[in-house]
Amino acid sequence: MENVIELKQVHKSFPNFQVKDLSFSVKKGFVTGFIGGNGVGKSTTIKMLMNLLQPDAGTISIFGMNYNKHEKEIKQRIGFVYDENVFYEQSTMLDMRSIMKSAYAKWDDELFHYYVKEFELPIKQKIKSFSKGMMMKASLALALSHHAELIIMDEPTSGLDPIFRRELLDILHSFMQDGEKTIFFSTHITTDLDRIADYITFIHNGELMFSKEYYQIEEEYAIIKGATELLDRDTEKEFIAIRRSNHGFEALTSNKAQASHLFGDSVLLEKPSLEDIMYYTKKGAEGGAAINT
Amino acid sequence: MQIIISNSSNEPIYEQIYSQIKRHILMNELKSGQALPSMRQLAKELDISVITTKRAYEELERNGFIYSVVGKGSFVSEQNNEMIKERKMKVVEEQLLSAVQNSKEIGLSLNELLDLLTMLYREEL
Amino acid sequence: MLQLIRKDVMLQKNTLLIMLPLLVVYIALNASATILSGVLFTIAITMQAFMLDEKRQIHILFNSLPYTRKEIVTSKYIGVFCFTGLVLLTILIANLVIHGESPTWKELLFILCLTTLFFSFSLPFSYRFKSQYLLFASIGTFAAYLVVINVFIPNLHDLIREVVAFLLAMEQVQLYVLVGCALVIVYILSWLLSIRIYEKKMF
Repeated sequence: MENVIELKQVHKSFPNFQVKDLSFSVKKGFVTGFIGGNGVGKSTTIKMLMNLLQPDAGTISIFGMNYNKHEKEIKQRIGFVYDENVFYEQSTMLDMRSIMKSAYAKWDDELFHYYVKEFELPIKQKIKSFSKGMMMKASLALALSHHAELIIMDEPTSGLDPIFRRELLDILHSFMQDGEKTIFFSTHITTDLDRIADYITFIHNGELMFSKEYYQIEEEYAIIKGATELLDRDTEKEFIAIRRSNHGFEALTSNKAQASHLFGDSVLLEKPSLEDIMYYTKKGAEGGAAINT
Repeated sequence: MQIIISNSSNEPIYEQIYSQIKRHILMNELKSGQALPSMRQLAKELDISVITTKRAYEELERNGFIYSVVGKGSFVSEQNNEMIKERKMKVVEEQLLSAVQNSKEIGLSLNELLDLLTMLYREEL
Repeated sequence: MLQLIRKDVMLQKNTLLIMLPLLVVYIALNASATILSGVLFTIAITMQAFMLDEKRQIHILFNSLPYTRKEIVTSKYIGVFCFTGLVLLTILIANLVIHGESPTWKELLFILCLTTLFFSFSLPFSYRFKSQYLLFASIGTFAAYLVVINVFIPNLHDLIREVVAFLLAMEQVQLYVLVGCALVIVYILSWLLSIRIYEKKMF
């Protein structure tokens, strides 16, 4: 299985923020979800993947090539969808089509018209009059119409209603059928990933927390719920973070087997959601592994 | 082939798929040589990630329930009843061995164990 | 890259349809001052075109498409000639049709030289600073010009007219070649500077 994207020890510094030693890969043929709270480095990473920014150190390789030598070749094969719209104010879908068509060697008018019809997009209306959902569909139609092998999306679903988000996932599922395409998308709406993500890359405070198969998360992480008496200095070490209340505790562990062995039947073991993992990781990283309610 | 997934169950989704397909095969609802949907197609229809169905299919293949042909897809294997019996025998043997060991640890006699086994067997049936 | 230039021109369709006829009208009313009008119209039209691309989201768009930053900058530098060419053509035809005479090739060349000179400075400036600053810089320059003209050199306009006439009257080919080469070098240096500035930009 080849890697479509490979980051190795990427560093990028800003006055208030840093991306540190970021290394991960994105496998071909699968959907990789890129999660993390706001302001943790997701957009920065995506911009580096699109060469809108360059890393201070480390290497980024896409399709096995780097931007220094192969910028145009790489970008020919990427379709992008950003959170903000990147259109000329007065342009219509037809105007954007002609810009895309001149830029991409593999532009496919038939495909484009198929998506425009599927997404019910008005082709002669100015894009600035579109709703947020329609703008996203417009960006997506343009990104999917040039036989791109890699689709990079930065928060494509923020601000969209839940119904449309489901429809988007259907579209992406269909897109992935031939096994040759790869999707990398960042989101902080983790429920979207439950239905489609194969791999999850989790970033927090500019650092990589983990990058693994979706089912591995189910296997390794668990939410433990039990009576507060069970907690002591030794057992607390098992957890990434603990949430205590008057009625018991809830904690996240990254070693389900060990916790199960340790506590046995005295606790409830549950599947963690990605949100749980993000929440407890943040709490754990803040040094206060204990959250008191 | 009906597959019902529970999102709230603690059993991982790939395991649920694995068990359900296995059951269909063992109950002969899926016949030998029958083609299964591609893992991507199944993922789309069940609205889950491809890697989940991939894992389920890999487990099924590893345990001999299905086989894959590159470029063509996955198919139900010849369910050799002898082979299944043999496999299950092994599992029974292991489980009994474990029961024997535990019994010896607490000082349960062979007769007491046999009584327990008989009672359980009859209850199940 | 050709597509980028084409895009710049095509997006200006409407502006051109207004500005070029306006230029024709101006020429009809006014046989002289061709050079000034030529330069002003070219600058106005070209700046209009370039300002469209100065929005952050457009930078993001074109840098995400398969174009190198070098191409994006170069397309602007070549675009200047396209727009100048259109204006020169309009002036030539309008003068021929309306006044029955064509402007001298020296006048047309002069327009080209002045616009080239202008963009040699304004393009790197726009890449480095936002265009609003260019507006301030122009206003500042204009204010300085007003001060100079009123306080220091009262007959600046006449002076300039004399200098221009003098230059146009000169026959020495070597001078033209020298000035031409100097301009070409300045334009190329400006192009290289713009590329350097743009390549370092973060979006």
